[in-house]
Amino acid sequence: RASLILAACLLLLATAGLEVSADGLVNEEVKRTVDLGSHLAKITAEIVLSNQGNSAVHSFLLAVEPDLAPHLAYIGASVKGDEEEDGTLELQKASTPGQSGIFYKVQLPSSLAAGAQVKAKVEMTLSHVLKPFPTHITQAERQLVVFQGNHYMYSPYPTRSQTTRVRLASKTVETYTKLGNPSKNDEIIEYGPFRDVAPFSEDTMKIHYENNSPFLTISSIVRTIEVSHWGNIAVEETIDLRHTGAVLKGPFSRYDYQRQSDSGISSVKSFKTILPASAQDVYYRDEIGNISTSHLQVLDDSVEVEVRPRFPLFGGWKTHYIIGYNLPSYEYLYTLGDQYALKMRLVDHVYDDQVIDSLTVKIILPEGARNIHVDTPYKIDRMPNQLHYTYLDTFGRPVLIATKNNLVEHHIQDVVVHYNFNRILMLQEPLLVVAAFYILFFTVIIYVRLDFAITKDPAAEVRMKVASITEQVLTLVNKRLGLFRHMDEVVNRYKQSRDTGALNSGRKTLEADHRALTVEITSLQARLKAEGSDLAEKVAEVQKLDGQVKELVSRSCQEAERLVAGKVKKEAYIESEKTLTAKRQELVGRIDSLLDAL
Amino acid sequence: MAEHHPASDNKHKSALTSGASYSGNGRSSAAVADPGSDAGPAGGGGLSGGLSQPAGWQSLLSFTILFLAWLAGFSARLFAVIRFESIIHEFDPWFNYRATHHLTTNGFYEFLNWFDERAWYPLGRIVGGTVYPGLMVTAGLIHYVLNLLHVTVHIRDVCVFLAPVFSGLTSISTFLLTKELWNQGAGLMAACFIAIVPGYISRSVAGSFDNEGIAIFALQFTYYLWVKSVKTGSVFWSIGCCLSYFYMVSAWGGYVFIINLIPLHVFVLLLMQRFSKRVYIAYSTFYIIGLVLSMQIPFVGFQPIRTSEHMAAAGVFVLLQVYAFLQYLKDRLTKQEFQTLFFLGVSLAAGAVFLSVIYLTYTGYIAPWSGRFYSLWDTGTFPLKYVLALYAISAVYFAGVMVRLMLTLTPVVCMLSAVAFSSVFEHYLGDDMKRQSPPLEDSSDEDDRKNAGNLYDKAGKVRKHVSEQEKAEEGLGPNIKSIVTMLMLMLLMMFAVHCTWVTSNAYSSPSVVLASYNNDGSRNILDDFREAYYWLRQNTDEHARVMSWWDYGYQIAGMANRTTLVDNNTWNNSHIALVGKAMSSNETAAYDIMRSLDVDYVLIIFGGVIGYSGDDINKFLWMVRIAEGEHPRDIRESDYFTPQGEFRVDKAGSPTLLNCLMYKMSYYRFGEMQLDFRTPPGFDRTRNAEIGNKDIKLKHLEEAFTSEHWLVRIYKVKKPENRDRVEHKLRGADTTKQKYTSKKTSKRKRGYIKNKLPFRKGKKTTKKSL
Repeated sequence: RASLILAACLLLLATAGLEVSADGLVNEEVKRTVDLGSHLAKITAEIVLSNQGNSAVHSFLLAVEPDLAPHLAYIGASVKGDEEEDGTLELQKASTPGQSGIFYKVQLPSSLAAGAQVKAKVEMTLSHVLKPFPTHITQAERQLVVFQGNHYMYSPYPTRSQTTRVRLASKTVETYTKLGNPSKNDEIIEYGPFRDVAPFSEDTMKIHYENNSPFLTISSIVRTIEVSHWGNIAVEETIDLRHTGAVLKGPFSRYDYQRQSDSGISSVKSFKTILPASAQDVYYRDEIGNISTSHLQVLDDSVEVEVRPRFPLFGGWKTHYIIGYNLPSYEYLYTLGDQYALKMRLVDHVYDDQVIDSLTVKIILPEGARNIHVDTPYKIDRMPNQLHYTYLDTFGRPVLIATKNNLVEHHIQDVVVHYNFNRILMLQEPLLVVAAFYILFFTVIIYVRLDFAITKDPAAEVRMKVASITEQVLTLVNKRLGLFRHMDEVVNRYKQSRDTGALNSGRKTLEADHRALTVEITSLQARLKAEGSDLAEKVAEVQKLDGQVKELVSRSCQEAERLVAGKVKKEAYIESEKTLTAKRQELVGRIDSLLDAL
Repeated sequence: MAEHHPASDNKHKSALTSGASYSGNGRSSAAVADPGSDAGPAGGGGLSGGLSQPAGWQSLLSFTILFLAWLAGFSARLFAVIRFESIIHEFDPWFNYRATHHLTTNGFYEFLNWFDERAWYPLGRIVGGTVYPGLMVTAGLIHYVLNLLHVTVHIRDVCVFLAPVFSGLTSISTFLLTKELWNQGAGLMAACFIAIVPGYISRSVAGSFDNEGIAIFALQFTYYLWVKSVKTGSVFWSIGCCLSYFYMVSAWGGYVFIINLIPLHVFVLLLMQRFSKRVYIAYSTFYIIGLVLSMQIPFVGFQPIRTSEHMAAAGVFVLLQVYAFLQYLKDRLTKQEFQTLFFLGVSLAAGAVFLSVIYLTYTGYIAPWSGRFYSLWDTGTFPLKYVLALYAISAVYFAGVMVRLMLTLTPVVCMLSAVAFSSVFEHYLGDDMKRQSPPLEDSSDEDDRKNAGNLYDKAGKVRKHVSEQEKAEEGLGPNIKSIVTMLMLMLLMMFAVHCTWVTSNAYSSPSVVLASYNNDGSRNILDDFREAYYWLRQNTDEHARVMSWWDYGYQIAGMANRTTLVDNNTWNNSHIALVGKAMSSNETAAYDIMRSLDVDYVLIIFGGVIGYSGDDINKFLWMVRIAEGEHPRDIRESDYFTPQGEFRVDKAGSPTLLNCLMYKMSYYRFGEMQLDFRTPPGFDRTRNAEIGNKDIKLKHLEEAFTSEHWLVRIYKVKKPENRDRVEHKLRGADTTKQKYTSKKTSKRKRGYIKNKLPFRKGKKTTKKSL
């Protein structure tokens, strides 16, 4: 019964094959290269496609085997024209009823007329198709992996002739399927040529060989891009890394690892991450701090970080780290009026031949960005936008979040985010700071100036009042004493110029100013008295002394007049002046001491 | 305008500080006396403007000095961050950090109820009830507030920088306290001192996230508020003091120091007949509210009424009540009646208190006195500034008892020296500008010094005016004065340099990351600890149990996030002894212990490769001793010494040592390793010896991870096998026989009874081929 069904299936297959070729397309010649040198399977096929139908075709189909389809990370096709110009073609997922596997419809750049031929190149990258076998090895053992694929190219079209060349990571091969007596030369196995292969032919190719290349997988990466309009773009990647090769069995001996170069040959000590050339302030750390075992090399066109995890990664071991850097925004942010466009890599290089199981990209735009529109280079799942609050934010920055699974190096492509932003909003943050300081200082001023005590202390109030009055008194008294000095100068000048008018006017102003000041002081004295301070008496004494000083001043003035008038001898004048000055000095001294006591 | 500033200074000085005998108006009189000065009327106007400010230049200056002290203190603590990174240091801080992290992620109540099943396996630890939560709550609160303001700072950075920030607060509270006790100049000086003093820095560098970092601030602030409340006798200040005390209780076990010093102060006040209503109000409020508040901390609980450390406070409280009551009676009764009553009352009260204390101690309500508290009471009588004196002397006692309590000594030493320096400067700088500059200008700050210099210049003009008085006052020549001043300044500068040097060299290593320097000055970072801890974190089962010596418990929990058996909270000695026993037993015995404790991994520190002296072999004798304390039958310290009584790891070492688990784990495969050509393989650089047991085989353990420089070695404890492994080779007929026959080819073979297979002799090969 089973054989019957099988036969029926085969029949169906054959008829289906015929039907597809009704499209008229035939793979004239297929050169397939399967590169198994790393932990990825990179399959490249150069196809000469000919249209043997009756009408022109505009597209053709690519197919991936059902076994490999879930591991397909990237597929791309290009056409080789006559002038060696590569045109990458657009792929669209298609389905073919009755056939398993996944299909892509490739749009040709120009229609293929009946009987014409075209050279196409198809690239596929498959992740996690190399299975370590044995799955557990010791430190001293080498890592062997098994690849299971197809001897033929899986295609909806019949193939006239095809060859498959498999490139391995090393010469050591345990076993390989021997369909069509393949030739093996060092790390290359060549199958074929196979002639006239029916559409959808499958024949398991199995190669078991040694592969010590680093089987690193990024199990998850969160890439955060934070755009600031103040000139900086901060990028941070949080990476979970796992060695997905054969799991280490038994002990890890540091001694062997240090002494023997081939001990733990499949382990990963370090790898290189290439950052953009303008990356600055690179940091590399994890939950418990900076990872001090890394090196940074600034090259002309890039910045290379030698990322060395804290410990060597053996099979099954994992680690987690954060790497981040700053970029100047002028290289990535384009603007036209209020419109901005951010053009950055959606995912960047982490290590060569990288495999990312799960990617989350977060793009944080400045607060106030509107009309956000994203152009992605390939299909990617958008999550609902979020808000992010950081320094001086009030209503939050919009965060675009997108996820995608199973990415490889081919996915390092640019994403463009368009948005509108009002430049006035740039002022918001500085103004906030200004306002905060204003409020702070204002509060302090209010607090210092106003009395918030719930009880009144009259004594203290009086004391403060008295203190302020006393200060005013001091100022006035000093001013008044200054007047006398001024008068002295006037007198001196008079002695030389003998200008009586000047003297008189000087005297007049002295009188007037002095009176005004004295009146003021007296009023202050009265206020002091009203406050009940005993300082009033001292002020009174100052007043009294001041009166005497004034008298002396006017007397010296008179003396000077008499000298000028020739009524006294010069010697007598000097003598009397001396006594007057001495007296005055003494009085001023007393006033000073009184002022001191105030 | 500069001319007027000192004058205004003066004015405020005279207005503010009572008892300043030299309220100076020299500047204004100078303006009067100097005929050449044109600053007459105009100057007067400026003068009045400056003078009318209620808080003028003096506050600005104090503010600036305090700010600079804060800044200096903060930056002096950043050596480790600049040299290494923003990382939590040492051991205890890792626990505090982990607890704070728990607090911020799970909330306050979850934190209070936290039962940590990752520590002390299988016992666990009730963290909420066995921790002083002040530190975590402070850091958590700061983090919360910052995040509320959208300042997205990681909790680690808050923890790292908490102590340096608090050092600024400490210097401010020291300023306030010293100002209350002495004067503002001394206060500023004390603030500058405490900002950079190594004794305090040692516990408060950035990354040293420990209780002491904030507790010293709380301590100083509590004292300040206490002095304030005694001075004013206001309930407001007393309540403030209680709140500060509450914060101190929540932060550090050293609060006992306060709760004994304040009663002591009151007691001395009583002895010196300086009782007043203010003291009564202050202490009664403080004791009652402080007591109630302190009991709110779960870890403290009922200790304040049950342990004798707190009984002094209670006793003084009762005494104060009785004293106050007697004072009250004194006003009401005649002298004769009063005396009778007094003696009766006092003797009765004394007897009752004595008996009740004895009874309570006997019945176990009060824990007996611990020795160091007796010594506190020997202090005699002191002058008015006794708080300072009491503080100093008790701190000296504490520091004498326990070096770690040196910390309590530091602030008071700073204050005392500030007082000393301040007075010296007042005398020696005070020559000319004594009238000019308040002692404020005498503090150690550089800027301040310049300021004082300016004053000096200005003051020169005034000299003739006031010189006679001056000369009468001070008999010292200007030369001596300047020499002394210079010497003092040099001393201060040397002190600052010394502090920075000590901080940089002694206290600024995270000890989690080690650094070594090459001959060319370049630096090698040995990051082995984190390498191994991170390996544990990433590549072991989430619930794996790691056995290590207790020193590394907190770090394993904090960095590796794995369950530990013992950690730095050494509350259970027998558990530690069990780990010690496992480490010091032979592998089989240790395996039984480790199996019974469900140990998955064993982590040890081994410094033999790089010459790190703080490794487990050097600590090993402690493990042995602690294990011996609990298991004297199984472990004897003497077994680990050579007959000569030496602890040696080389061939002469005792066989017990050479076969114990710790030795085996430390030196596993080390015997094959030749570090350089001058030394034999297996040469231990730490102990400078060639190890004695080079052929180490592990049966129940396997090496799981060794860090790059072998500093940390982790072993996996194997699960028991399904079938017991047979030690000797299985008796295979072929091999044994062949060996046997080959040996016995002589004539004696014939007589051998057990030889049951004689046919093998010649025909075997042919038979097999057939």
